[in-house]
Amino acid sequence: MRRILAIARKEFLHIIRDKRLLGVILVMPLIQLFLYAYALSFDVKQLPTATLDLDRTTASRQYIDALQQSNYFLVDGVLTSYAQVDKRFESGADKVVVVVGAGFGNDIAAGRAGNVQILVDGSDANAAQLGSSYAGALSRVYGAKVVISQIEQKGLNISGAGGLTSSMRTWYNPEGISAAYFVPGLIVVLVTMITVLQTANTLVKEKEQGTYEQLIVSPISRIELMVGKIAPWALIGALDIIIIAVVGILAFGIPFRGSVGLFALSSLLYVICTLGLGLIVSARATSVDSANQLGSLIAFLPTFMLSGFVFPISSMPPVLQWLSYLFPARYFMVICRTVFLKGGSAAVLFPQIAALVVFAVVIVVLAASLYRERA
Amino acid sequence: MTDRTDSVEAAIDVRALTRVFRNVKAVDDVTMTIPRGEVFGLVGPDGAGKSTLIRMLATVLAPTSGDALVFGHSVLTDPHKVKPRVGYMSQAFSLYGDLTVQENLDFFAELRGVPHRDMASRSKRLLEFSGLTEFSKRQAQFLSGGMKQKLALAATLISEPDLLFLDEPTTGVDPVSRREFWRIISGLHRDGITVFVATPYMDEADRCDEIAFMTQGRIILRDTPSGMKGRVPGRVIEVAVDDYRRAMRVLRALPCVHSLEVSGDMLRVLVAKDAGECEGTLRDALAGAGFTVHHVTPSQTDLEMAFATLIPTAAKSTDASDGDILAVAE
Repeated sequence: MRRILAIARKEFLHIIRDKRLLGVILVMPLIQLFLYAYALSFDVKQLPTATLDLDRTTASRQYIDALQQSNYFLVDGVLTSYAQVDKRFESGADKVVVVVGAGFGNDIAAGRAGNVQILVDGSDANAAQLGSSYAGALSRVYGAKVVISQIEQKGLNISGAGGLTSSMRTWYNPEGISAAYFVPGLIVVLVTMITVLQTANTLVKEKEQGTYEQLIVSPISRIELMVGKIAPWALIGALDIIIIAVVGILAFGIPFRGSVGLFALSSLLYVICTLGLGLIVSARATSVDSANQLGSLIAFLPTFMLSGFVFPISSMPPVLQWLSYLFPARYFMVICRTVFLKGGSAAVLFPQIAALVVFAVVIVVLAASLYRERA
Repeated sequence: MTDRTDSVEAAIDVRALTRVFRNVKAVDDVTMTIPRGEVFGLVGPDGAGKSTLIRMLATVLAPTSGDALVFGHSVLTDPHKVKPRVGYMSQAFSLYGDLTVQENLDFFAELRGVPHRDMASRSKRLLEFSGLTEFSKRQAQFLSGGMKQKLALAATLISEPDLLFLDEPTTGVDPVSRREFWRIISGLHRDGITVFVATPYMDEADRCDEIAFMTQGRIILRDTPSGMKGRVPGRVIEVAVDDYRRAMRVLRALPCVHSLEVSGDMLRVLVAKDAGECEGTLRDALAGAGFTVHHVTPSQTDLEMAFATLIPTAAKSTDASDGDILAVAE
């Protein structure tokens, strides 16, 4: 116990003395939080839009007004000919151009379908997809209104007519704020990166400094050395989780609906997994550089790509889906999102927590045996 | 922790110890015993296997075959019984540069289980005797080379080991610090601590109770410093002469000259024991060849001379090639 404390205290001294490292631990997560939360925002509002009204009737103006009032489109250009459409896209001034065909008003008045064309800039795939679906939906709604008013004008009472009403509602994140979706995921990504990379360094550094031999020649067991090395980083990992969570809640208005205890427990389990991974890298790597590279490979790619952080796991090819089970990140990702956005009891999250327990045990045992082998 | 009552057994008992690195025998079947309380010096060229031998004895490196008993405990099967009783100072600086002098000492004291009540007094004493008291709050990386080595020694001594392994402790250290370092070692010796030191310096080897010469993984000579010198078949005459490089050629041609070596700008000439009064012969030969001779005086055999003459014979008897060894002795 005394030796573990000696190692842990020494590690803390290393961290405190290293200004750059302190920055990496405390400031980087916040910078990344803000960067990711804003840059990775998939919220599409106020899409720059131009309109080309070839009809110029009351009906066409009403349609364009409806578009503008939706808040999804920012109509910032009124075009007069098709030739101008190209220019708007080319200069990047607009992502969407809505063209109201000539005869729109007459067609509607005559009870025929009015023609509207929606052009989107496909080079911005995300904006294009959302733009076209929003505009499509708006047009359908507008179309339905027109139909209803025409039916009413013809003196028919539609209250007696049957029909289908679908009302859509998003639960847990009703406004579809992507920050709510990203911040819990970011906790996973940032904590993984910091803990894996730092522990990946720690043992190799001692080897390069020549201090490792001094540790070996002292009566310290591998387990004591490992625990002493892990303990400070477990605390720092916890600190980072708390910082990101608190800033996420305060600055981005992310809810926290689950149990703090459950979240703390699973965070602890996950941090043990990542620290163990770092130690495995450290026991195997031959230099600090290779430890860094191997560490970032292990920390970054699976957590970013295979955890469901950016791409939903369910929509991945089967091979990648299987692969994702091999990294603890996917389980902690589910736990984080559930705890923040949904609530979720221990019973609901049992499979994920159980998986983390298994990972923690396997990784720690593996790391310990690698340590012993190297002596 | 320290049971000095079992003083009958040797401090170190090495038995056919061998370590192979990728087909190269770094340490090749070394067998020897080192009595307690001795300052034992290990000399030899770079790559002779000195560090490998020390690292195995200090339980840092596992042997390929053979074994060594340190205070009766095998480094192979009982390293945890060896570790508490030995201190090991590796060739490279092996402390934490970002920690202060005091923090380094405290860390190693905690790590090696120094009782809390003793920690303060021991580190105070060690700081004093290594002259580091006023630097106790300085980060180790900002110490001079000599101070770093003294700190490393202090950190090794904080657990009061019975046996100290020092791997070229004064390499890269200025002469004053070196002398001070050896003053400390003499002090330890007086306290009954066994010291096993590898050194490339002959003056340091001269301070040991016994020395062993190691080359190509084998110990080929072992004796006390005076025993080594006594084995030299002849005596040394010091010659001061202008243009000594050309003078060497003249001297080598003389029948009474066994060998010679350059020491500073002087020549040290080994002449056969039975050659009688040789000084005159040397002086006449040089003067006859037109050299200005400053002085020709009898001198002491030194270790360098001893190794230069003894190693080729010893190496032949142990089947080692002697080319390397001669190069080393210069």
